[in-house]
Amino acid sequence: MKKLLFISLLLSSFSVFADLNIFACEPEWASLSKELGGDKITIFSATTGLQDPHHIQARPSLISKARRADLLVCTGAELEIGWLPLLQRKSGNANIQIGGSGYFMATDYVRLIDIPTALDRSQGDIHAAGNPHIQTSPVNIQLVAKALSQRLQKLDPANADYYQQRGQDFMQRWSTAIEKWQQQAAPLNGIAIVVQHNSWGYLFNWLHLNKIETLEEKPGIPPSVDYLNTVLKTLKATPAKIVIHAAYQPSRASDWLAEKITIQNVTLPFTVGGDEQSQDLFSLFDDTITRLLDANK
Amino acid sequence: MMNYNKTKISVLIACAIMVSNPVFADDITDLKEEVAQMKADYEQRIQQLEQRLAKAENETKAVQTEVAVVKATPPPKTPQRSNSFNPAISMVLNGQFSGYSKNTDNYLLNGFSLQQEAGLATKGFSLGESELTFSANIDQILAGQATFALADEDGATEIGIEEAFIETLGLGHGVTLRAGRFFSPIGYLNERHAHAWNFSDAPLIYRGLFGDQLSTDGLKLSYVLPTEQLIELGGTVGNGNHYPGNGTHSDVGDWLVYAKTGADIGISHSWQASAAYWQSTPKDRAIGNGDSAVTFSGDTDISNLSFIYKWAPNGNPSQQNFTLLTEYFYAHDDGKLIQGGSTHYNGKQYGGYIEGIYQFIPHWRTGVRYDQLGSSLKASNIGFIQNANLNLSGDNPQRYSAMVEWLPSEFSRIRAQIDYDKSFTGNNDTQFFLQYTVNIGSHGAHTY
Repeated sequence: MKKLLFISLLLSSFSVFADLNIFACEPEWASLSKELGGDKITIFSATTGLQDPHHIQARPSLISKARRADLLVCTGAELEIGWLPLLQRKSGNANIQIGGSGYFMATDYVRLIDIPTALDRSQGDIHAAGNPHIQTSPVNIQLVAKALSQRLQKLDPANADYYQQRGQDFMQRWSTAIEKWQQQAAPLNGIAIVVQHNSWGYLFNWLHLNKIETLEEKPGIPPSVDYLNTVLKTLKATPAKIVIHAAYQPSRASDWLAEKITIQNVTLPFTVGGDEQSQDLFSLFDDTITRLLDANK
Repeated sequence: MMNYNKTKISVLIACAIMVSNPVFADDITDLKEEVAQMKADYEQRIQQLEQRLAKAENETKAVQTEVAVVKATPPPKTPQRSNSFNPAISMVLNGQFSGYSKNTDNYLLNGFSLQQEAGLATKGFSLGESELTFSANIDQILAGQATFALADEDGATEIGIEEAFIETLGLGHGVTLRAGRFFSPIGYLNERHAHAWNFSDAPLIYRGLFGDQLSTDGLKLSYVLPTEQLIELGGTVGNGNHYPGNGTHSDVGDWLVYAKTGADIGISHSWQASAAYWQSTPKDRAIGNGDSAVTFSGDTDISNLSFIYKWAPNGNPSQQNFTLLTEYFYAHDDGKLIQGGSTHYNGKQYGGYIEGIYQFIPHWRTGVRYDQLGSSLKASNIGFIQNANLNLSGDNPQRYSAMVEWLPSEFSRIRAQIDYDKSFTGNNDTQFFLQYTVNIGSHGAHTY
């Protein structure tokens, strides 16, 4: 009994000194975790900015990482439905199961938009819970940051003060940055934009951009020629200035449009690591706005 | 407006100072300086106030945006229905057209028994197995899953329980315990349902050793080591009643141990390798083909090695990807053959396959496969083996396959496949399959 107590003490004392192991499903959450957890955490990002987070395979390397994770920081809202449940099941890790202390889904802390009114697979890859791509608005990041900082404090009470201080510091820098971005983006207010894939809702709401067309008739399904011609006709009547697509997506549809009409064809990073400039959350929005402003000149 | 206010304030201040201080000629200059100083001070403060106001305005704007979003979104509906906790249900439907250049009734596999599901798909149009899967978390510690296969068998529709198991939900420390019926963790394809395979028919070695697939009724324990590279160790114990096991056993009728490892190489490459060893003590297991009445009792063990490599540029498989998969099995029967009397029997059967699948553009895949088997069957009285119709011609069965698939979405697939089949001597058969497979219902996760 004494021996057991000693061993458990030994184990618990180890866990105090070990870094908190964070498994981030997407690079934006890896970056946010880094901002909030500093050098008290070890972060692994399951995907890069050039990968499509809907379609990832539950590779052996991901299972071994999930096995050792203290905290999952993922988007949720069914974005990772094709692979995360498998990692949870195969890892044999109690912390990261649904509702566990190490299960953190960012979309739980944000009000989702674009919730479909009818659920039917004939409508393409629709997200039943709403648009999961919340990282395109810094306001959402702010909401998630608050919740994530609290979770870190709860999971690693020994370093709670450290997390709290980093959290406050981040919040301050982040609100200042939001103000700066809003001022910079003022000229973009109301401009007409064509999107290739309908995943930009939060960015558009935040900066008051005007989405006038979507190149994909149904999400995740390559558009038909008929549909593209209809879009073309609409755009000739009501021109748009910019067409955007995410760095991880092939640009075929946007390129096609840019050949047909005069329009600025812009690749946006979409998340941290989407391009060379987007190294963290701050530079992600710096870069996104710079690219939109350049195209709007 | 602002300027006017500022002037007004400065004047007021100046007046106030003048009133409260008697004026001396010498002090006038000092006073002027002081007033100027104060004016500057106040202007600075006002400027700061203006900045704070602008900041507050901006913050309000941010909040307003957020509020606008919130307003624009209808509150999430949480309908309280009695079926809210229903399990995830999905169904796999498939059907195919099969064409053969030779008579399928005579199909054999040199040196192997065709038992259970083993054999060729029905000639012409046929409905394959329709699979129904239910899965859900049972409570805070368990999850459950069941897959039923519905298929026509000799004119009647039969329901088979492919899998039905419960499994621990994060027991901790990498340990997972499973109980019930499940596909045995031997090899790569064995743990996957047939609809997830890359070709419409089973590899010849699966056909010859397992009657397409090996299951266990029992327990499975797996342990994922806390290592950087995935290392998973595990084992199963079962009742020994699933082919090539047979008969009732009062305790453990079959057991298996396995080890799996895998990792990434850079961002675009990944691999997994596994080894497994299965053992059983079948009693009166049917052996052979046709109207063979010969059975086998003794020890059967099967070893497996498998290796899979995947490539996806930038780790993004939805655009392009390539898979190389190969498996090898070695089975050993040691016991006696029984038909009235009995004779000592020592049978070795082995073989494997290698396949390569390439998704060259989104929604289109193509692949090739090569199968090869071999056997060495020995009995004290060779008559028993001849009676079992095991076709000991000595030729090694071989098969070449090629396929092309169109996947309109994640949930549907249309596949055309051609096989050149040399399963048994003197019957080189060209086979053609056109097949659809769809998934309706809940979205399943994709295993590696």
